[in-house]
Amino acid sequence: MRSLGALKTIYPPERVLSGPAQVAPYESDALTAFRERPLAVVLAESQEEVIETVRLCHRENLPFVARGSGTSLSGGSLPIREGIIIGLNRLNRVLELDPAERCAVVEPGVINLDLSTLGAPHGLYYAPDPSSQSICTIGGNVAFNSGGAHCLRHGMTSNHVLGLKAVLPDGAVVELGSKSLEGVGPDLTGFFVGSEGLFGIALEITVRLIPKPESYKTILAAYNSLEAAGDAVARVVATGLLPGAMEIMDHLAIEAAEAAVHAGYPQEATALLIVELEGEAAEVEAEFQLLEPVIRASGAFEIRVARDEGERLRIWKGRKSAFSAVGRLSPDYIVQDGVVPRKQLGSALAEIEMLGRKHGIRVANVFHAGDGNLHPLILFDGTEAGALEKAEELAGDILQMCIRRGGSITGEHGVGMEKREYLAHMFAPTDMEVMKRMRRSIDPLEIANRRKMFPDENGHGRVSASEITRSGNGAGTTLRPGSFREVQQAVADHARIRPRGGGTKPALSRPSAGIASLELSGLSGIVEYEPEEYTFTALAGTPVAQVRERLAREGQYLPFDPVLVRAGATLGGTVAAGTGGSGRYRYGGIRDFLLGVRFVSGRAELVRGGSRVVKNAAGFDLPKLMVGSLGRLGILVEMTFKVFPLARRWLTLEAALPSLREALEAIRRLRAAPLDLAAVDLEPPGRLLVRVGGRRESVGARLERVRELVGHGAQLQGQEERDHWDADREFDWAPPDWNLMKVPMTTGRIAELEENLRSIPCRTRYCAGGSLAWLAWPGPMDPVDRALGHLDLTGLVIRGNGDTARPGRTQDRVFSKRIQDALDPDGRFSEA
Amino acid sequence: MQHSIEPERFGPQGDAMAHQVKTCVHCGFCLPVCPTYKDLGQEMDSPRGRILLMKEMLEGSLEIEAGLPYVDKCLGCMACVTACPSGVEYGELLTPFRALARNQVKGTLLDRLTRLGFRLLLPYPRRFRAAAALGRLARPFTGMLPERMAAMLELLPRKLPSSASLPSVYPAIGSRRARVALLSGCVQQVLSPDINWATLRVLARNGVEVIVPAEQGCCGALALHTGDADHARRLAVRNFDAIPNDVDAVITNAAGCGSGIKEYPLLFRGDGREEKARRFSTRVQDVSEFLDNLGLKREPPPLPSAMKVAYHDACHLAHAQGIRSAPRKLLGRIPNLTLMELMDGETCCGSAGTYNLEQPEIANRLGANKAAVIERVQPDAVAAGNVGCLMQIESHLRRLNSTLPVLHTVELLDRAYESV
Repeated sequence: MRSLGALKTIYPPERVLSGPAQVAPYESDALTAFRERPLAVVLAESQEEVIETVRLCHRENLPFVARGSGTSLSGGSLPIREGIIIGLNRLNRVLELDPAERCAVVEPGVINLDLSTLGAPHGLYYAPDPSSQSICTIGGNVAFNSGGAHCLRHGMTSNHVLGLKAVLPDGAVVELGSKSLEGVGPDLTGFFVGSEGLFGIALEITVRLIPKPESYKTILAAYNSLEAAGDAVARVVATGLLPGAMEIMDHLAIEAAEAAVHAGYPQEATALLIVELEGEAAEVEAEFQLLEPVIRASGAFEIRVARDEGERLRIWKGRKSAFSAVGRLSPDYIVQDGVVPRKQLGSALAEIEMLGRKHGIRVANVFHAGDGNLHPLILFDGTEAGALEKAEELAGDILQMCIRRGGSITGEHGVGMEKREYLAHMFAPTDMEVMKRMRRSIDPLEIANRRKMFPDENGHGRVSASEITRSGNGAGTTLRPGSFREVQQAVADHARIRPRGGGTKPALSRPSAGIASLELSGLSGIVEYEPEEYTFTALAGTPVAQVRERLAREGQYLPFDPVLVRAGATLGGTVAAGTGGSGRYRYGGIRDFLLGVRFVSGRAELVRGGSRVVKNAAGFDLPKLMVGSLGRLGILVEMTFKVFPLARRWLTLEAALPSLREALEAIRRLRAAPLDLAAVDLEPPGRLLVRVGGRRESVGARLERVRELVGHGAQLQGQEERDHWDADREFDWAPPDWNLMKVPMTTGRIAELEENLRSIPCRTRYCAGGSLAWLAWPGPMDPVDRALGHLDLTGLVIRGNGDTARPGRTQDRVFSKRIQDALDPDGRFSEA
Repeated sequence: MQHSIEPERFGPQGDAMAHQVKTCVHCGFCLPVCPTYKDLGQEMDSPRGRILLMKEMLEGSLEIEAGLPYVDKCLGCMACVTACPSGVEYGELLTPFRALARNQVKGTLLDRLTRLGFRLLLPYPRRFRAAAALGRLARPFTGMLPERMAAMLELLPRKLPSSASLPSVYPAIGSRRARVALLSGCVQQVLSPDINWATLRVLARNGVEVIVPAEQGCCGALALHTGDADHARRLAVRNFDAIPNDVDAVITNAAGCGSGIKEYPLLFRGDGREEKARRFSTRVQDVSEFLDNLGLKREPPPLPSAMKVAYHDACHLAHAQGIRSAPRKLLGRIPNLTLMELMDGETCCGSAGTYNLEQPEIANRLGANKAAVIERVQPDAVAAGNVGCLMQIESHLRRLNSTLPVLHTVELLDRAYESV
């Protein structure tokens, strides 16, 4: 074969595997129901080799599948018969560990757990913890947006990947994101994560490392029924606590896990609930006082609290071994990964049991109860004729059930090979077509992980793009649609159109000649809010203030802390501009809380991406793409968010340190400590504001620890405290006629930026521990533009009169251009 | 994992092999603990990869010659068994498979000569002693020899210890608490006879009378683990008759022997002697396991000087027999001995029976890694429960110019007891 010869020009012979004994062990990943032998396996040891290989594949139209350790449970790294495997397990260098910025830059073959080992000497760890974390690679985690037991509080892989260098399927190399937690422009990093290898191969991954919690409390509760355990989860949620993890195992899973690792689970339990609290010791203790009686009242017949780290690790080892341990009960099984709204857990489990009985198949259950992420394990014996088909039929029924309940077909394992027939059940034909178009725009030959995620085309599968005729002749006026349909019509009618929400960030929605302005104030209101699910769905024009108020009534809030609330910012505008605030320090930014979107594309299609449940790995992550997209990729019309319980009490330490150097040193100390701070803001040179939120009884003590680390400071509380943060959220410190700009940052660069801005009459605020800077200055844009360019930073002007909304360093143009081509081929939303 | 193996084609052990294949779910939890996967970074050299290859060969869809080289690279360290959540007893596939393959593949002339050499020399202390003495003379010519032979010479001690033959009975000191038979081993008796003497003395101090049956021979573990099942059975049977039944336990101080003997029931499956084999194997205990169960009669006195000791888990003790805490507990009883744990402590040192002679390259890398890890914790001595590990570790420490003593667990106990 010609390509094989060409591969040997890239690799020494011992790293091109093509003999029958060499390719056979690559025929499956951790889903052995699917098997396929590739033409060859190459074992890359350098990024250059991967790039060369991808370019060769592109030239020769040779499909490739990237593979880390081969632990996918959805057949994500199943080889393709007419293609090759690019093995990445040896591409595993740690390129940089940056404890001060709490991140590391690694190659894709680095093993998940090794990231935590790497961070350990600095008190840091990598939060996403798939059960296979001792072997699964970060590259595979990126491709499939892997989850884990602790996603409930910490989110999935995409919430912990800050930047990527990747080779696209045609060999183009792109760099996305940075070390900053914040960004400007669409969140391309987030969009790449979870693309199941269809967008190419990540070569370098910048991961977030976070401080290892100071304290854990792991509670094991045994129940006589699954329903009772499920009910206990609902009770815990109702208390407003946010545990690190909440897991349930049924008796089959308990039996198997116990046999495998002797975790000490109560063997007679029909269901086992694991709840883990984590955080600062004082907070965990306060939370435990609240949690324990709730669990006691929930009908558990035995409750155990891990006495030490050893016992805690055993409990988790049992849980994490459960899938494989089920191999003791059955020679074959299919693990399902559907998600249902949390409050439907009990009835969904009952339905699974009923379906299992109907099909005459045993089903074991181990699941992330806190996120409603089910993992039914369908047990079968592949040697029995028709057993696999029967198991797949049951799997299909379960997936349909998840979709019917408004959930997702996959929470964390991805669609892969296994669920590709079901993606189209979850998404409408238009959504599917748009995703396919994006895929083709990025990979016209469809050589990257071909046949994964999307079902095979059956000839008549493609839908016509839109039934709306696009004239593009409309005059440049102001439009105020009252329905999604009217938004579609408006886009169809206008050659150039720009959305506008509350107009609080005028630089981004300023009317200009020849561009129609689409006012979204007519699309306002909360469509659905289920406090017990921690989610809500609202129309794009809904004022943030309205949402905040509604959430607060239920003791919940938007953890990404949107700005310009009083000024009238809308949800859509906040997402499109990507303007989160100081409070994003604790749990994350907009990208971390946006679950689902509906938007109108440049082809006037109404497209849905993501889902309405807290965990979803099905399809491309369009919600992430919309964050910071400034209406240039689509017009947001509806969004679903995840929310968190609101702190019972807030306190802020206000300290004036004598110099910038000392203030930065104090921030460094705070960031290195295992503290769960709500916000850390700096007003240069030395005014520091540190916010703590939590249970009423622990916050005071926690603030004292902050005071110790900072050295001194005054305590703000009550109305005065709230007023401070409210005023900051509105930028009261920046005169209204000055330019106002957001700059994604890292703490370590504050001193340089300050130095470079010295000659400009510029006021700055560094928020969220230094991840985010706000700059305000009068007059022309140029000096700041130059200063940013000099430092390789990018800004986003939200108020001001410059001719560019994004001064500073030019971001990726290659990847975003292809996305734009797919979503807005006629440039209806384009900037210039 | 699904398979179409017809177990009946492979004799009495066919079912065991097929069952292990079926039990594997290919999850990959064995990968991070497999020394060859960590070293070579390819699926063929991982436990689940080998299971798949063995499956293919047993199914007849892969030529033995094509797949066997990868199975040969397996150390048989059984770290994968410890890691496996699904409960695959990998050894129950590997050992019978090796025996099966050995009968079908000739291998190179060098392979066959090496194996013949092992078979004729290793199990017989006198022959082996003579050969080892000769080997020492050949050391200056190491560079001219094939790599494998060079590896053998490298491992031989600079000086062959003198051997005094063991007494047939070694009485208990004080009141007798137990009576045991000692398997005196073969290779160990030549290369490190002190271990047996230390075992006798330590057991005696703890009120144990030890008999050393004269007719006993090699337990057959080396033959078993290199696929020579027939020879292994012949050697094993000799011991069934040589070891009397009226002892409380049969003691071994070589982890490789202990683990091999625990495989007897499978080795003799379908054989008229299966029950005998089972009974024999249940009586065998590692010296550390036995002593820990019995309990030390009195606290050992302190060593002449305080020592920090790095304990190395021999694979055939930790993974194959699940013995981890007993040796640690015993050593921990010595008042001025501080135990140190090693990073990746449960990773094979590369000795693995005759592996370091058959796959010297991989074995050397593993040995070098182990020596480096040991050096890092800066102990005063290294302890392990298997002569193969002791020799491998010592050889690699010497390459780093380290003079650290490398001792068997009972040797350290012996030093403490003998210090007064």
